[in-house]
Amino acid sequence: MRRRSSLLVLGALLVLLATACAEEPADPEAGGGGETAAPTVPTIQEGVLQVGSCLDYPPFESVEGGDEVGFDVDLAEEIAGRLGLEVEWVRADFDTIFTAVAGQQFDMVAAASTITDERLQTVDFSDPYYNSRQALVVATDSGITSTDDIGEGDRVGVQRGTTGRGYAEEVLEPQGAEIVSFQAAPDAFRDLEAGNLVAVVNDEPSSAEIIEDLPTLTIAQPIDTDERYGFALSKDNPELTEAVNGALAEVVADGAYAEIFERYFPGVEVPPEFQPTA
Amino acid sequence: MSTKQPTSQSDILETPAERRQVALARLIQVLGASGLALVILGTISVVLLRGLVPHQRIVEALESAETLWILLTSLALGIVAVATGFGRFKRMPTKTSRERAIAGGVLGIQALILAAALLAFREAGDPERFVFHFFNFGVLEGYLGLFAWAAVNTLILAFVGQVGGMIIGMMLAFLTLSKRKAVRAPARVYINFFRGTPLIWQLITFYFGFALGLGIRPEIDLGPVAFGPAYTAAMIVFVLNTGAYSSEVFRAGIQSIERGQMEAARSLGMSYLQAMRYAIIPQAVRRVIPPLLNEFVILIKDTSLVVVLGLASSEYELFTLAREGYSDSFNATFFTAAAAGYLVVTLPLIRAVNVVEKRLRSGLVTVAA
Repeated sequence: MRRRSSLLVLGALLVLLATACAEEPADPEAGGGGETAAPTVPTIQEGVLQVGSCLDYPPFESVEGGDEVGFDVDLAEEIAGRLGLEVEWVRADFDTIFTAVAGQQFDMVAAASTITDERLQTVDFSDPYYNSRQALVVATDSGITSTDDIGEGDRVGVQRGTTGRGYAEEVLEPQGAEIVSFQAAPDAFRDLEAGNLVAVVNDEPSSAEIIEDLPTLTIAQPIDTDERYGFALSKDNPELTEAVNGALAEVVADGAYAEIFERYFPGVEVPPEFQPTA
Repeated sequence: MSTKQPTSQSDILETPAERRQVALARLIQVLGASGLALVILGTISVVLLRGLVPHQRIVEALESAETLWILLTSLALGIVAVATGFGRFKRMPTKTSRERAIAGGVLGIQALILAAALLAFREAGDPERFVFHFFNFGVLEGYLGLFAWAAVNTLILAFVGQVGGMIIGMMLAFLTLSKRKAVRAPARVYINFFRGTPLIWQLITFYFGFALGLGIRPEIDLGPVAFGPAYTAAMIVFVLNTGAYSSEVFRAGIQSIERGQMEAARSLGMSYLQAMRYAIIPQAVRRVIPPLLNEFVILIKDTSLVVVLGLASSEYELFTLAREGYSDSFNATFFTAAAAGYLVVTLPLIRAVNVVEKRLRSGLVTVAA
């Protein structure tokens, strides 16, 4: 009898403890709204722009010392600021990120995503915010200088769900290459480093950043595929898309874009369509 | 007045009223069963008859008048079965008819719930959206061969893991049963390590960590058949992991044989090893087969974890293929197909496990037959 009642008391104490610890953190709505006179944009959580990202793709998005850093990160936060919203970053796998935003698991995707017709069937894209090329990354001592050198039986690494994989399948697979897909881009680079792969096809700026500290890897050849990055948004929220486009245009016009660009791509000229007009 | 023992139900019943009750019980059971059969088989038939591709046909089938009639009828059958079954079972004269009435009521509940759910889905839900995303078999065009091949890969990974694991497991089990602590301890460490860390961690660490950290690149090239580094690493990890779990199964099996068997064997002049080989192990094998088969079924599903490694397209197993198809098409029908693939592989195995278990159990005294 005594044991049962003491168990009950213990159980009740645990429940109390659990509810106490599960207190919601400070209400984000209290801080986000009312700062500017901008009309509130519809988002999943009022006053907050939930942005999904893989967060493992420098220099566009990565985590350093617990903080999100990168070109996409700064640009998204600048845009959100113009709309009077606070950014909440949500980590998500890249190969399911478009269906996730279409299903409204977050408001927007900032993950160095190329605007493609296939993706446009599932999501809406903002106006382009970056011109990108792919790159063929190889071991420095492999002697490969172009995509023509990729031949029969060569294992080429790509990230699942990317345009890099599309390119590899269209151009390299007919040449006899074996395409190896990875969940995350860094995994492909690690495999290349380990010698399991002959090459990796991945976005150029990200590849350059990733191999900056790896002298054993180099970019054999940049591949121009006429790709532009955009922020992916749910088709069910056209107002947000419009608002983001407006804020993006503003950010470009008054020079904030150029500032962010120079921060992450020093020495590279800001493309003419993104130059400030003010 | 007959005084012989009642040999069948008809002997026990004495009045026509009782016979009617028994017949009613049978009717209730039939009502419940047919209600359930109608809602399941009827709906599926309507869908199949209209065609599965393109997905609009499925939506039309679900929203058609025929389906409405089927659902309403089975709903009615279900309600009647529940009402009569649970209302009357206490008054049934024989045990069999009581059981029949209750069974009819339970089947009626199931028919009721299913029919009501489907009706609610039809009217209040969005069948078009659901069918488009999960039963859009059109997007699977061209993938059938790939799925078949992927199922083969799943089986290869699981089979190699299981067989290799059993070999390692048997050796480890003996080590854990040794009298010398110096022999038991390393075996214990191995077992605890592989049971204590997540399989997904083991896969990633072995593949990425070893290749980078130690320069170990496992690859198997047997000429016509070649396994790339990811596939080979996965097979190795499955063998090591299953080895740890199997060793526990083997150890428990051996230890479950009573001491008396070992004593009897030793008293006949056999050495420890001979006693093991001729007396203990043969008996332990019977006890060990069902959990090992179970282990195999679980392993088949664990092979899906290789999605986090770098596999070439010819090496894809069911889940990786589904994930790739999904990220290309943004359509979850691939996951439906993967589930079907896994079920096709595991259900017959589960059946086989149950059959084997039954046959091995005969002769041993158990709690429930």
